[in-house]
Amino acid sequence: MQSVRIAFALACVMTTAPAAQWLKQPTPGIPRTADGKPNLSAPAPRTADGTPDLSGLWRPAAMLIGNIAANLPPNSIPYQPWAEKLYKERRANDGRDDPTANCIVGGVPRSDLVPYPFKILQVPGMVVILYEAVHSYRQIFADGRPFPADMNPTWFGYSVGKWEKDAFVVETKGFNDKGWLDNFGNPATDKLRVVERFVRKDFGHMDVHITIDDPGAYTRPWDVTLPLALAPDTELLEYICNENNKYFEIIPKAGAK
Amino acid sequence: MKTIRFIVVVVFALSTVASAQWLKHPTAGIPRTPDGKPDLTAPAPRQPNGKPVIAGLWRPAPGIVGDMTRGIKSGEIVPFQPWAEALFKQRRANDSRDDPTARCVVGGVPRSDFVGYPFKILETPGMVTILYEAVHAYRQIFTDGRTLPVDPNPAWFGYSVGRWDGDVFVVESSGFNDDVWLDNAGRPATGALRVTERFVRKNFGQMDIEVTIDDPKTYTRPWSVTQQLAFQPDTELLEYICNENNKYFEIIPKLPTDR
Repeated sequence: MQSVRIAFALACVMTTAPAAQWLKQPTPGIPRTADGKPNLSAPAPRTADGTPDLSGLWRPAAMLIGNIAANLPPNSIPYQPWAEKLYKERRANDGRDDPTANCIVGGVPRSDLVPYPFKILQVPGMVVILYEAVHSYRQIFADGRPFPADMNPTWFGYSVGKWEKDAFVVETKGFNDKGWLDNFGNPATDKLRVVERFVRKDFGHMDVHITIDDPGAYTRPWDVTLPLALAPDTELLEYICNENNKYFEIIPKAGAK
Repeated sequence: MKTIRFIVVVVFALSTVASAQWLKHPTAGIPRTPDGKPDLTAPAPRQPNGKPVIAGLWRPAPGIVGDMTRGIKSGEIVPFQPWAEALFKQRRANDSRDDPTARCVVGGVPRSDFVGYPFKILETPGMVTILYEAVHAYRQIFTDGRTLPVDPNPAWFGYSVGRWDGDVFVVESSGFNDDVWLDNAGRPATGALRVTERFVRKNFGQMDIEVTIDDPKTYTRPWSVTQQLAFQPDTELLEYICNENNKYFEIIPKLPTDR
């Protein structure tokens, strides 16, 4: 029950959105069925150069929200002992040291594993993700640049992407050592390297195959697949975490079991 | 001197980047002089449809950060309603203690374009997006022909739609909350605010934004300022996470108030 309670607590604290009015805005230019509904099983659109067009408003499949390992067999994350201990501690104390409790951005891959939509934009030389969560964004450079030699440690890291046939492959390094991989608190260090393979399966569905490679926290690289669903006929809301943050009002109560 | 001190405070308070390493990255595809330096006086680039490109990394021109009236026409004054002038003076007198961005809330419109941090403009089909270094926030400007919503959620950035008027990209925004400050100096606004921004790219390295403020609850008539932007070649946005190490409330209480 603890995880249910945490998920509920997080849903309460992380959201200014449910009370707000959901935005209804017909998404222009999407395939529709005869009755006008979005045709989410239509083929994936392609850009002028023939690669799939990833752009659109996306949302993670419900199952993986909060817990990156939800689709993995039990006990399959190859923790180093210290990392497993820290993870259990975070689970036991209702995530009270969660950096996002202070309205800091989730980072990579955590920002894709929260119950808020995000908009992918493709511009020449770059893919950009606009997150509803904490109203933040991420730049993925696709202009052929290599990683900088001496990166500023950051929450989102530094991302470069390239096309491998129909998959957009993003490699990210340069993280600080404070990031959580997911809401549940799977740890990471500044040795973290994340590889994401974005595969748009059809108009309404995209998989992100995520590889976590952090020899500071895990004994070997490990993989998960995150299914995304297109969110048609709506828009991002303005989520300003600092405006009315209730995390520290709720979490201490959640801890008094 | 008060103005200068105020700006120094804001620069300190808003800055986690000062000690960070500036990013050097050659900007691809920009005009350069024979010695390889960016040619900022080259003509404005154009899109296939003939409209000027406004995409790129921009920053307010030096000297016009913080106080939007630095770009007001000579002889013009800000036509405050009396309550708004009193509130503005109070904010100036108390070192902006009630500034919403002190708590890492986004600056909004037009304030986010008047701060000492660069921003990147992106153009995609149906939308212009601005990625702000400040507070790592973004703004969407819809260009797909939609109209401003009748009953928008009140927001810091409001709701923005844009269209081309000849060579000028014109953005109309409404749907603001009542808490917005128009600039760091603390000029007030209400939910009645409408902002019109005319983006005029003058050449490769320079763009003006002609900003018109129309808020009949706060000002007796619409008024305008011109914000000058300078293109930022060969660098990138930094990750500015305001909540990580926010010193605003350590600095502000130490300032004397009896000036």
